[in-house]
Amino acid sequence: MSRNENPTVTAAASDGTGHLDQDGLLPQLVAHLREHRTRLRQEWARRIQEAHLLQAMTSQEMTAETTLVYDNYVEVLETGSVEALQHYARDLSERIIPRGVETNEVVGIVLLLRDVLARSLFEKYQRDFSLLNRVLDAYEPAANRIANTVAVSFVEERERVIRQQQDSIRELSTPVLPVRERLLILPIIGVLDRERARQLTVQLLSGIRTHRAKVVVVDITGVPDVDESVANHLVRTVDASRLMGASVIITGLSPEIAQTLVTIGVDLSKMNTIGDLQGGLEEAERLLGYSVARDDGVGGP
Amino acid sequence: MAAVGPVGSPDQSCASPDVAALIPLVRRIVAARVPDRATVDDLVQETLTRVLAAAGRVEPGMLEPYAIVTARNVVASMWRDQDRHRRHQHRVVDLRPPPAPDEDVLAGEDRAAVAEALTRLSERERTTLLAHEVEGRDTRSLAVELGSTAGAVAAQLNRTRARLRVEYLLVSERVEPPTERCRPVLLAISSGERRRQREVDAARHLLECEVCARLSEPLMERGRARDDAVRVPVRGDADIVAARQAARELATRLRFSPTDITLIATAVSEMARNIVRFADSGEVVVTELEEPRCGISIVARDAGPGIPDVERALQDGYSTYQGLGLGLPGARRLMDEFAVVSETGRGTTVTMTKWRGEA
Amino acid sequence: MTSPRLFSILRQGLHLIASVHTALDDSQLVRFQADLVERIGADRARGVVIDVAALDVLDSFGSRTLRDIAEMARLRGAVTVIVGIQPDVAFAMVELGMDTGSVVTALDLEEGLAELDRCLAASPLPGP
Ligand SMILES: [Zn+2]
Repeated sequence: MSRNENPTVTAAASDGTGHLDQDGLLPQLVAHLREHRTRLRQEWARRIQEAHLLQAMTSQEMTAETTLVYDNYVEVLETGSVEALQHYARDLSERIIPRGVETNEVVGIVLLLRDVLARSLFEKYQRDFSLLNRVLDAYEPAANRIANTVAVSFVEERERVIRQQQDSIRELSTPVLPVRERLLILPIIGVLDRERARQLTVQLLSGIRTHRAKVVVVDITGVPDVDESVANHLVRTVDASRLMGASVIITGLSPEIAQTLVTIGVDLSKMNTIGDLQGGLEEAERLLGYSVARDDGVGGP
Repeated sequence: MAAVGPVGSPDQSCASPDVAALIPLVRRIVAARVPDRATVDDLVQETLTRVLAAAGRVEPGMLEPYAIVTARNVVASMWRDQDRHRRHQHRVVDLRPPPAPDEDVLAGEDRAAVAEALTRLSERERTTLLAHEVEGRDTRSLAVELGSTAGAVAAQLNRTRARLRVEYLLVSERVEPPTERCRPVLLAISSGERRRQREVDAARHLLECEVCARLSEPLMERGRARDDAVRVPVRGDADIVAARQAARELATRLRFSPTDITLIATAVSEMARNIVRFADSGEVVVTELEEPRCGISIVARDAGPGIPDVERALQDGYSTYQGLGLGLPGARRLMDEFAVVSETGRGTTVTMTKWRGEA
Repeated sequence: MTSPRLFSILRQGLHLIASVHTALDDSQLVRFQADLVERIGADRARGVVIDVAALDVLDSFGSRTLRDIAEMARLRGAVTVIVGIQPDVAFAMVELGMDTGSVVTALDLEEGLAELDRCLAASPLPGP
């Protein structure tokens, strides 16, 4: 196979730095990788299986993916284009992240491909040691660059996906509900720590502006433990809302807990607290100037 | 006397990718060269530590090439006596005389190298640098003299220092850069300017050029990203606004949330006002942080009378001027970390940090 | 109205509308306060709306100044409503620990004027 392919090897690479693709080694290399595409791709897939990588994929998926990745890989090697490389890496990440592939697997398979190809180059050029060295010198940096870009892009893409998921979970966990014109309800469910209290307040404040709310009902029935720090968060939320011209009604705070908070020195005087959500909504309507009276006479206390 | 607020967990970094992802690669490189397993483990660790240290200063795409280069160097240094090289690294740029008197020979060599490196700068670069470093002239007065702005002079000085570091290394290692691309690459690394590193494709060059690969290491360890620090002199009311705008700009660039940006700007405002009220003049320095994750650091410094009782000043309601008494304790609540160092008669330094959160 | 570019004070009926147009430093804030308080007296205003929507920061000094203005206005028989505090600014103010208790606020200018009418209807004649 490697009989006549010995190009003119002059006294090159003497300065040890080797300016690589100058003497057309890369095209030659790429041609070789194209020629032996099927065999090399299979070899690669076999190595992936041996290394127990990508086990979340079926063998069909595996064949499809490895073929696609192989072709892209060679193409990027050929063009050396950063855009193509990044595009390739993003594309790869997008396809495999939803399948639960881990970072080390991605880096692993790309490095395996690099090695499979390097070994094939080794076999091809092993008779001419100096040529082999130059070929590997040309190949290694390019291959490293691919591996690197793929890894970085994968990590970035994964972070982006995770961030997106976190954002949507966070939004779900503290919905600001516009019940009627100028009235918002904020039902808080779960533990209220400092960070969450901050997010919630920020969300509420922008909700106030978006909906031009005059009254906000904050329902804390779903907060398991109302202690001093939770109460202080609420006081700040009330203050901040007021700065934007909205009044806050707190509902779901039992009289006993309210009493306890006052005893330990929490200033509840600025807070408008009402036992249950229904009562809170009625108070809100009163503040907004709507009539509370109802035709069927079911009105609360 | 220091007070520190709650510290954020170091879980997310600015732009530095997962260094752990480099482990298989590094291990492969090292294992190919070193037979003994325990030594491999050690060298992998050593490599990753160095890579991690430099991670914040190189652009993301450069991390793997850097890891490869570092791994090779770490292995090589195991065989080679690195003593002299190491001693050099520590004073790549210090213009002051070396402190240890027992290293006379080395010191002489060092001074000669610095002198030689200085001759390689342009006349203007050299004069400005010496005026600043040796005569202690400030950027403001130099700017007036040069018909430029203080900011431009500061930037020029940073570039000159970066060049001096490069030239010094070349002199003391007695190497001529083998290609024309070497100097621009080394300079980009030395100055820590990531955009420039990308422009000259430093990553690729480091893989291809052994000389630069070797020289880049001390440069990365030494070079700090100085272009990310903003210094605002605070002398009067208008400077309070300037200081908080500087903080706002950097925080925006670092993609802090709008809420956090406002918190930071408010804290800076409070601290800058303290300087104007109590000390007449001082400065606010705003810096990007990259480790353990992305953040912003604010240092408010003055040479005023100092705070006699820092503990008390950190309590709500303590104030000696017409504010709400919220200065220190208020700013502390807005930031993640907060420390005050004050010495009566000598001045006060407040250091505050905010990490970019998940929100 | 020494510096019309920094802030403006306009009369509308019995009310004054004071708008801050840009970030003010401390001495500019002091001048704003002096100008506004003087106008309240000169115009015998019953109500004042201060629009601070252009402020990206309201730190302790800024808040203190607004409170002082409201207090001085009250002593001259006028009600003050602060409008336009941005969500992030409001958040920073409470995190800073500002006591914002006594100041009347509204979402924007329109709401502020409505709020003034409500206040004045509730207490027809305040005054020293
Ligand atoms: Zn080079």
